[in-house]
Amino acid sequence: MTRQQQTPSIDFTILTLKDALDLAVLIEEEARDRYEELSAQLVLHRTPGAAAFFAKMVRIEELHRKQLIEQRHKAFGDAPVGVRREMIFDVEAPGYDEVRMNMTTRQALETALKSEEKAHAFFVSVLHNVQNPEVRKLFEELRDEEVEHQELVKAELAKLPPGDPLERFDVGDGPAPQ
Amino acid sequence: MNAPLFQAKDYKSELKPIWCPGCGDFGVLQGLYRALSAIGRPPHEVAFISGIGCSSRIPGYTTAYGFNTVHGRSLPIAQGVKLANPELLVVIAGGDGDGFSIGGGHVAHAVRRNIDLTYLVMDNQVYGLTKGQLSPTSPKGLETVTSPLGSLEDPINPLLYMLAYGAGFVAQATPADMPGMSALIEEAIRYPGFSFVNIQSPCVTFGEDEQQLKAHKGKMKTLASLGHDSTNQLAAMDLARAYGKELYTGVFYKNPNPPPTYESLVKLRQAEQSKKARARHQILEAYLQK
Ligand SMILES: Cc1ncc(C[n+]2csc(CCOP(=O)(O)OP(=O)(O)O)c2C)c(N)n1
Ligand code: SF4
Ligand SMILES: [Mg+2]
Repeated sequence: MTRQQQTPSIDFTILTLKDALDLAVLIEEEARDRYEELSAQLVLHRTPGAAAFFAKMVRIEELHRKQLIEQRHKAFGDAPVGVRREMIFDVEAPGYDEVRMNMTTRQALETALKSEEKAHAFFVSVLHNVQNPEVRKLFEELRDEEVEHQELVKAELAKLPPGDPLERFDVGDGPAPQ
Repeated sequence: MNAPLFQAKDYKSELKPIWCPGCGDFGVLQGLYRALSAIGRPPHEVAFISGIGCSSRIPGYTTAYGFNTVHGRSLPIAQGVKLANPELLVVIAGGDGDGFSIGGGHVAHAVRRNIDLTYLVMDNQVYGLTKGQLSPTSPKGLETVTSPLGSLEDPINPLLYMLAYGAGFVAQATPADMPGMSALIEEAIRYPGFSFVNIQSPCVTFGEDEQQLKAHKGKMKTLASLGHDSTNQLAAMDLARAYGKELYTGVFYKNPNPPPTYESLVKLRQAEQSKKARARHQILEAYLQK
């Protein structure tokens, strides 16, 4: 029987720049995939406004991912990837429990804002352990970018009419009985 | 680091879950993919068996073999699957209703046979799929469509139930702690014998507020932080009594000396019997002499 070791966790004190860049790519990938899933869930459950906003987030996270991949390739070419997706848990991705059917667009934006704040807190916290100066510089940039993203979401929120007309309400519309 | 044999996404099927947005089962599924990737068995060496319910849809969302069977019958079918092909890694997934109501009678026999199976119950304290009726783990007083004035019954305690029947591995998890839950599922799968994880997986549509992940985050306590020794069965039973009041996560009990599994005993018995087996001509002679 094939058996692997339990997924190792990340030791930020010895993280190399290559691994740090790959990790940043994976963080964006995780967020992209989660927004894609959440958007699909909301389409299925007839919540089009929030679904459309999450679909927009898919495109934004994908853009960030591509930029980081480019940066990684410039610096390290095709050198093998040393980190894996299983090492991270919902760094920038909203939790599954953040969504509801009939959630409003405002609530969707607030979910995204919370996720950007969560990602910011992640970089702040791991920076305490990062020693490599190049990795520090990268993570400081990423931390600051999270603040910029928060500002963008806040600007979008400000454009919405005050007090979303349709607040979330509880409807029992579960899957069809078998 | 060596490249992983299988990544979590390799266990994810094309089928999109139809659970209500926010359902706890989404997190459980994600944790399951990760546990499988850490174990590293290819999807074709894994089989998911379930009954009927929202949680029982899990087999369809994986690339492993799957059988979404009949309500309450996942345990006997999973035992059959494992005995027919002991090399398969067999995981059973289902709900509290499926496992402890209609399927409750099968639990004792699955546990006492000790076949190497992992049973994951997504305990949301209601019948989710059929729209929120009372389940065997619903708290006393719960108002549902089938108990409009509040339930008069005490709930079943799934942890004590499993411990009392002698399960070798009993744990509890919540998707409010994803890394902890994935690690527990992995540990349960690695346990050589019948293993059980009660996963507090909230139903956002019919569940109570205090059973949602936000509430879990505030009240969950790891058994490790209580200094619990998971090889102590009596201490495990004592802590398990708090089911429904406290949210303890971690391993309640793990038998430090796992007894032989049923399938290994069957193999031994077959080997013994085959030594006694007579050649075809001896059988023929014995027959002709009669
Ligand atoms: C023999 C039979 N009886 C009743 C049902 C109706 N039924 C389907 S799922 C279900 C209960 C589901 O509750 P649970 O197992 O807790 O799963 P959940 O949906 O909460 O995940 C019932 C009673 C059925 N499908 N088959
Ligand atoms: S009814 Fe409840 S258990 Fe079923 S999918 Fe919806 S939230 Fe999940
Ligand atoms: Mg249930």
